[in-house]
Amino acid sequence: MNHDWPEGDANPEMLGRDLLRGASPKTLARRMEGRSALQRVDELGKRAEYLAFTLGPEAYAIEIGSIVEILKPLPITEVPRATPDVIGVMSVRGRLVTVLDLKARFRLPRSFTMDRKSRILLVDAVDEEIGLLVDEVLQVYRLSEAEIEPPTVLGSEQAPHVVGIARPQVTAGDAVLLLLDLAPLFAE
Amino acid sequence: MVDHSGGGRGDSAGDKAREEFFSEAQEIVDGLSRDLLALDDVCRRGGSDAELVNDVFRAVHTLKGLSGLFGATMMSGLSHELENLLDDLRLGRIELTSQVLDLLFQSVELYGRILAAAKGDGSEPGAEVKALLAALGQVAHQKGGGGGSIVAQYELDPGLLGVLTEYEEHRLRTNLQAGLFLYRLRVQFQLSTIDSALDDLKAKTRPHGEIITFLPTGEGGDAETVELEILVASREGLSVLGAAVAGPNVSIEEVRRRDAAPPVMGRDSMRPQPALSDAPPPITSFGAPSTALETMDVDAYLEGVRTSRPPPPTGTVGPVDAVSQSPPAAMTGFPTAGASVPPPSAPPPAVPQGAAQAQRELTLRSVTQTVRVDIRKLDRLMNIVGELAIVRSAVSRLTEHVRRDGQLHEFATTLTRLHRSFERHLTQMQNGILEVRMVPLGQVFDKLARIVRQISRENDKQVNLVVTGAETEIDKLIVEELSDPLMHMIRNAIDHGIEDRDERMRVQKPSVGTIALNAFQKGNHVVIEVEDDGKGMDRAVILAAAIRRGLVTEAEGREMSTKDVLAFVFHAGFTTRDEATNLSGRGVGMDIVKTNIAKLGGVVDIASDVGIGTKMTITLPITLAIISVLIVEVAGRTFCMPLASVEEAIVFDEAAVRTFEGREVMTQRGTTLPIARLAKLFQLEGHRAGVWFNEAAKIPAAPAASRSGRPKSYVVIAAVAGRRVGFVVDGLIGQQDIVIKALGRSLKKVRGLAGATELGDQRVGLVLDAAALIAEVLASVPVEAARHHAIAMGAESGTARRRIETANGGYE
Repeated sequence: MNHDWPEGDANPEMLGRDLLRGASPKTLARRMEGRSALQRVDELGKRAEYLAFTLGPEAYAIEIGSIVEILKPLPITEVPRATPDVIGVMSVRGRLVTVLDLKARFRLPRSFTMDRKSRILLVDAVDEEIGLLVDEVLQVYRLSEAEIEPPTVLGSEQAPHVVGIARPQVTAGDAVLLLLDLAPLFAE
Repeated sequence: MVDHSGGGRGDSAGDKAREEFFSEAQEIVDGLSRDLLALDDVCRRGGSDAELVNDVFRAVHTLKGLSGLFGATMMSGLSHELENLLDDLRLGRIELTSQVLDLLFQSVELYGRILAAAKGDGSEPGAEVKALLAALGQVAHQKGGGGGSIVAQYELDPGLLGVLTEYEEHRLRTNLQAGLFLYRLRVQFQLSTIDSALDDLKAKTRPHGEIITFLPTGEGGDAETVELEILVASREGLSVLGAAVAGPNVSIEEVRRRDAAPPVMGRDSMRPQPALSDAPPPITSFGAPSTALETMDVDAYLEGVRTSRPPPPTGTVGPVDAVSQSPPAAMTGFPTAGASVPPPSAPPPAVPQGAAQAQRELTLRSVTQTVRVDIRKLDRLMNIVGELAIVRSAVSRLTEHVRRDGQLHEFATTLTRLHRSFERHLTQMQNGILEVRMVPLGQVFDKLARIVRQISRENDKQVNLVVTGAETEIDKLIVEELSDPLMHMIRNAIDHGIEDRDERMRVQKPSVGTIALNAFQKGNHVVIEVEDDGKGMDRAVILAAAIRRGLVTEAEGREMSTKDVLAFVFHAGFTTRDEATNLSGRGVGMDIVKTNIAKLGGVVDIASDVGIGTKMTITLPITLAIISVLIVEVAGRTFCMPLASVEEAIVFDEAAVRTFEGREVMTQRGTTLPIARLAKLFQLEGHRAGVWFNEAAKIPAAPAASRSGRPKSYVVIAAVAGRRVGFVVDGLIGQQDIVIKALGRSLKKVRGLAGATELGDQRVGLVLDAAALIAEVLASVPVEAARHHAIAMGAESGTARRRIETANGGYE
């Protein structure tokens, strides 16, 4: 099941369009309207696709449309004076990409590792692409509305980037995913 | 040009190209005038200067080519005749008399007037040009005196004459001596039906004249057609013979006598005369088929002719030959030969006195408003702007200071306003200089159109080049470096992308392949796409080849994204070892493409769909930001210091450091130098490479210890706008030219870094912002105090020191 990631760039429709940011206009439009992933799911009343990954012991998921590419770790150069959640900068086919450590952002116990399972999720942010270092990419889930609970079940005050909790029914185990909206993470 | 900085880029690329044409033509005409003056001088002293004549000849030749390219028919007509005259001069066929020199000077004046007229300044000197052409004809006529063979008087290609059989030559001579007209036909035949078609043509021609010879031209054809050039002698006029032989693939023109005099008087006015433009002279086409590319050219050209302006070079790219052969040149070109030339016996007509006076007044003024500037001068200006930016930030700090003070409220407001205005104008100036460096990509696309024709012919594939966005502007230096990579990419697309005709038929694609060349601006970048509708690149095939070559393992390959797999074609010599696969050759030169684009700070991406096509996308910065840097090592990390701000690098002597107010300084060549330890400034902890690899950060070798037992280190003395700081580093690695890239938005707040660059093996090196770091080191000491400080340090006296304290106290 691991790395079962549909290759976005194999899609023939992409050829005539902008290849690098195939999904970005949609994503951006959504962000501009300030709607969360959950609301979007509500409106569509359909299943939406999420990519699940782990940060330490916890499992998270973000909507697939916001992911540009999944990369194996490349050499990342640390940047002095950057905020602690910045791991550094790397060059993806000649483009400079800032790589963030989501664990630092989420104040998870810091266990900064880069090993064979580590992946960098390249995502669209404001005016740039950002790399998110994750410990492992799990799989793509197609989640229906029924499988998503509002974040308030965790308590009344939740960080704005947490938009829901998913319990995918397809998995045999009791996987729980924290659904993330990236826009608040980059809005500063 | 003046309004550009303020008002946006209203000018179309066509106007810009036209401006360039004017300025270049004007420059050549000016040079021509100087050479002629020198020649006149030599002549008067009774000497001669072959080299000067050659210079003049070359100048006119260039003008001819240039004006032909821009559809300036009057100018190219004049140049053509002048070139003939000068060629005769050069080869000693005629003497350089004062009469000839007069004609040459007249031509310079006429060039000036033509240029002025084209810019809307005065009317075209049509009559004068005609008169001059006639006079030139006279001179040319005098030289031969009919001495040579009559055949030599006709504008026949010497190559053609060389291959005539003795009989054909005899027939040609006889016919010409009998006063017949000579016509050149170009006919395209289908190879399958050439025999019957040729017989057919012979039958059509027989009632009107005699076919003297026919030869394949070696052009205009493809695998199934061949073009023949047929010489026909006939008593009939062009229109009669033309009508007789008219067909879908036939074009006809008259071969004129070199002296441009009509062979028989009275008849010429009835016939359309070829223009005096270019050799080979324009062809009156009877619907000759042309490739799509040529059709585009002609359309563009037609538009140019209709408005009597140079064709807009945007979108369609006009190969020179297509322009000079296009039919309208014959019909609308104004200096029609025969009609204007007086009988051979008439004396050379003099240009009327009054007109000559007017000409002189006009031509003394240069028509062009354009200046050609060495790009290095612009670089120098840009550097000054950079210095001003530093001044601006100092003023900004002062302004802020005064504003916070509160006592000088009115003064602060005024200062703030002035500062804003200064800032705005500085930005405008910066943009203005950047804009001057911009040229349209059409410059390089023009060349590519010719290459497409050439390569597609070599490969026997029909390819249609569709260009969009030729008006997109990019830094002049980048344009220069782009032609090779783009040529490689297009060659690859034709060689390996576009299938041959049979294959295309089989997969039901149009038999003519299409290559699209698109350019557009996207933010701070220019994107150029080269897209073909060929067979595409197969991920599996490339991956298999990469695995065979040991670039990846099979397991790794499965996980790779298609983008990464396709990127293997950029590996040096990637396919040369796999000639057995259908990939062979794809990738030849592609590593060079990638390297060259990377040098410009650009990126190449490939997307491909098997059976549908391949698209390569180049993304380039609009301006080139290549800088030389000194690569230094600090606590194991690598940084780049822009060399422009490095004064020198010396070995660091810990013992020479003194401390004042907690600030470290050292004395260097009698002056005081504040120093800053970069490791401390950046709070770099531990000794490591600062690069995270797959596992952990690699640990570099421990720093070598010097004799004193301490690690040896260096001081890099950086100076910006007269302010100097010595930065202590652990090692000097070397000097390198790098392309600097801006850090992402999320790192904008990090002070002291100007950007980053790729240092090889995918590692990113950070580039230090010398100006910001210097400002930061000296920041707690305001400008005024720093000056005192320096004085104080020089004197090293107690009283001076006290003064610093008060100075500091005053500000803080």
